[in-house]
Amino acid sequence: MQRFRNAILLAVGAGFLIFQPMLRPIYAASEGATAGARSQSSGAAAEPEKPGAEAYANHCAICHGEQREGILPSFPPLLGITHQLTDPQIVDLIHKGKGRMPAFPTVQNDELTALLRYLASPGPSTSAVTSNAKDNAAGVHSSGLVEAGNALFRQNCAFCHGRDTMGGETGPDLTRSKLALSDVNGDKISEVVRDGRPEKKMPAFRFSSEELLSLAAFIHSQQVKAASKKGGRRGVDVSDLQTGNVDMGKQYFNGAGTCAKCHSATGDLAGIANRYEGLQLEERMLYPRGAKSHVTVTLPSGSKITGTLAYLDEFVVGLRDSDDTYHSWPTSKVKYAVDSPVNAHVDLFSKYTDADIHNLMAYLQTLR
Amino acid sequence: MKFVKHLSVLAAGVLSFSLLPALTAQSLDAAQLLKPSADSWPQYHGDYSGERHSHLTQITPQNVGGLTLAWAFQTGQTAEIKASPLLVDGVLYFTVPDNIWAVDARSGHVLWHFNKPTTQGLHIGQRGVAMYKGWLYFMTPDAHLISLNAKDGTVRWDVVIADVNLGYWTTMAPLIIGNHVIVGVSGDFDNLSGYLRSIDPETGKEQWQWNSTPPAGTPNSTTGGMTWMTGTYDPALNLVYWGTGNPTPVLSGATRPGDNPYTCSVVAINPDTGKLVWGFQVSPHDTHDWDAVETPVLVDADFHGQPRKMLMQSSRNGYFFVLDRVTGKSLLTVPYGPVNWALGTDKQGRPIPNPAKEPAPDGRLIAPDEGGMTNYRSPSFDPETGLFIVDAHPSYSIYFAKPADGNYGWAGADYGLWGKGVIEAIDYQTGKIRWSHEVGAGGAGAGVLTTDSGLTFTGDAYGNVLALDTHNGKTLWHAGMGGAMQSSPITYDLDGRQYLVTSSGGVLFAWVLPQSAMSTKSSRAHK
Repeated sequence: MQRFRNAILLAVGAGFLIFQPMLRPIYAASEGATAGARSQSSGAAAEPEKPGAEAYANHCAICHGEQREGILPSFPPLLGITHQLTDPQIVDLIHKGKGRMPAFPTVQNDELTALLRYLASPGPSTSAVTSNAKDNAAGVHSSGLVEAGNALFRQNCAFCHGRDTMGGETGPDLTRSKLALSDVNGDKISEVVRDGRPEKKMPAFRFSSEELLSLAAFIHSQQVKAASKKGGRRGVDVSDLQTGNVDMGKQYFNGAGTCAKCHSATGDLAGIANRYEGLQLEERMLYPRGAKSHVTVTLPSGSKITGTLAYLDEFVVGLRDSDDTYHSWPTSKVKYAVDSPVNAHVDLFSKYTDADIHNLMAYLQTLR
Repeated sequence: MKFVKHLSVLAAGVLSFSLLPALTAQSLDAAQLLKPSADSWPQYHGDYSGERHSHLTQITPQNVGGLTLAWAFQTGQTAEIKASPLLVDGVLYFTVPDNIWAVDARSGHVLWHFNKPTTQGLHIGQRGVAMYKGWLYFMTPDAHLISLNAKDGTVRWDVVIADVNLGYWTTMAPLIIGNHVIVGVSGDFDNLSGYLRSIDPETGKEQWQWNSTPPAGTPNSTTGGMTWMTGTYDPALNLVYWGTGNPTPVLSGATRPGDNPYTCSVVAINPDTGKLVWGFQVSPHDTHDWDAVETPVLVDADFHGQPRKMLMQSSRNGYFFVLDRVTGKSLLTVPYGPVNWALGTDKQGRPIPNPAKEPAPDGRLIAPDEGGMTNYRSPSFDPETGLFIVDAHPSYSIYFAKPADGNYGWAGADYGLWGKGVIEAIDYQTGKIRWSHEVGAGGAGAGVLTTDSGLTFTGDAYGNVLALDTHNGKTLWHAGMGGAMQSSPITYDLDGRQYLVTSSGGVLFAWVLPQSAMSTKSSRAHK
């Protein structure tokens, strides 16, 4: 009996000892409920599929938020993602990743199907859209419609256009957009939202008419608010940049500005004002991003190879030759000479007066 | 006789063990923070001076070429690590917004991971935790201060520092002085008053608050002055030094004429009372978003032949400042890169802003850009060479503001045109740049660490971690981490080996000399 009791005690003790040092990662559960509550709005949510919600929680929530609300400005919300992407497109993204989003190739079969179903399910706020839109047939600016549009906008548009529609990471300020300002009851806005702007990387969205109406209502309410209490970055209109003198700009271009050394008003810059306007034109005028440099590399043998500079740090130089083949070398093993015509723009920074810049802008805008 | 011999051997053994540095998490108290042991990095800056300069000499210019990877820790997240990890009792603690990891510094494996997702507040970065007597202190994007048990990451208490609904957020690593946990706030998209708050480390209760600006609506004043980043501390003077951010509205100065104290300032505060002792404005009447929250580096050395207690800041506005930290008087003010927005400096050593370079409806060309000549990344001071070394960002931008932009929050727009990264070694007595080391188009963003053996550790824009010779800036070692370092490096001794810890993207790297390369010869301290 004694031996048996000792054996039990020993087993318990051993089990206890083994259990004690196991260090488990702690996930804070205490604040989870509050976080969820904060991102809720009114109304009962449509019950998401459990396995899909679980798949979402395991793979996606850490970046895209527990309620698919995203973590602005870095991670876009996923509510309403099926308005933007088809299922095959979503599957492709999940399996291949994109940019900062990692790939999840192991999400397959049942888990994948469940996840897709979950992603298609409405979030708590979106269900309010349809009911409010129907109740508010009269008046675009009724608060219910605007509120619904706000929620939709936040989930689908804010990532690019900013929470307050005044511009974000990559999307323009909608309170200054000519199209958005001249829109009436969503007639122009709906078109852009439905078709997207592929050349500017804006996706197309498949919203219902009520949803589009609410979006337009929200955008218009933001335009009304634009003059007052909003703190985000503002924008620059084409009309802001018309303070220069054309003749003085032309003189500067051909004289002290040294522009004529590399550029020609009838050559490479002919029609430049048709291709760019406003802030974009001025930014390119001052420093054209994406301008290519050339490099000539002298190999230890003495032979030279020239191409477009493709990479350069302290340790490696890389180029693409005339066949577009990439070559690279350790900088310690070769000699290289870089030709960057764009550096002339950098040299001018310390020489311009602001008047020079405005005059140049005035002159360039005549090149149509 | 044998017994005595054994006894003396035993006694020697016991003695040598007690001489070994023995910093445990629970013993991390005020004394340890004042004089950190070699086997620790117990606070954001390493020590209270903010010099980010280590006395460790195992890694030297002669052997750094053999530095190798001990381990890498992958957070598995895309959030970039901007934190300086803490190393206490063999465990590393570091963060990204909403997350803390505790990692075994010997094996690189995770002990625990705290994750509290928040939906509010700008998730722009997280600089790290503070630690005191076995408790961690952590700021969240939605402006809470959380105290956790360092053993397992369980929450002890959670207090609100600022109202995120008003537009505040927080990112900084708290500073612990005695029984004060000092925290600061951020928030430029609204017209908000900036402040420092001191919290009781045991209870979380507020002890005092110092306001950098008065509440919005106070006549003849400005809002802003956010206390973004961790300050420094002089225990002999009992003064905590802090930088404050820009005024709001940001790009429009018409509604806030005058200097706008204490925005864009370095201030000296009594940490027990929260009372201001002196304040120096680095950018009076700023209209370019140039927070003066860069590290206020404390240096005791000669200045032009006289011993001085100094404070040095390489500020965002493009000027390098040396102040007497007892009185707040300026000793030197010199640009450390192209600047075009000032008419010179006044009698107090402050730049005089040129009204013609304030943001305008048709734009003004401004050097540096909004990101500034440097930003949150730490500089380092090397006492032997007298060099203040910083990752600088010569740059140009255009700034706009017009009446239609209003007077709230940003109140305008600015656009960077061009910039590059350069590591600059500034002679603190003259402001002359003794050597510079280009680190890439666009700018690098890495902090700087120097050591007594004459090494400077930093990173370039292409993902390389670099070891430079502190005397001349030449590259002695590098390794490609896969992405530009956005944090400031740390170093510590662990088990008799000197480790360098850097980050790139969501990965932490621990570098060390290979075990085989270390003979008794190379481990002896030498310059």
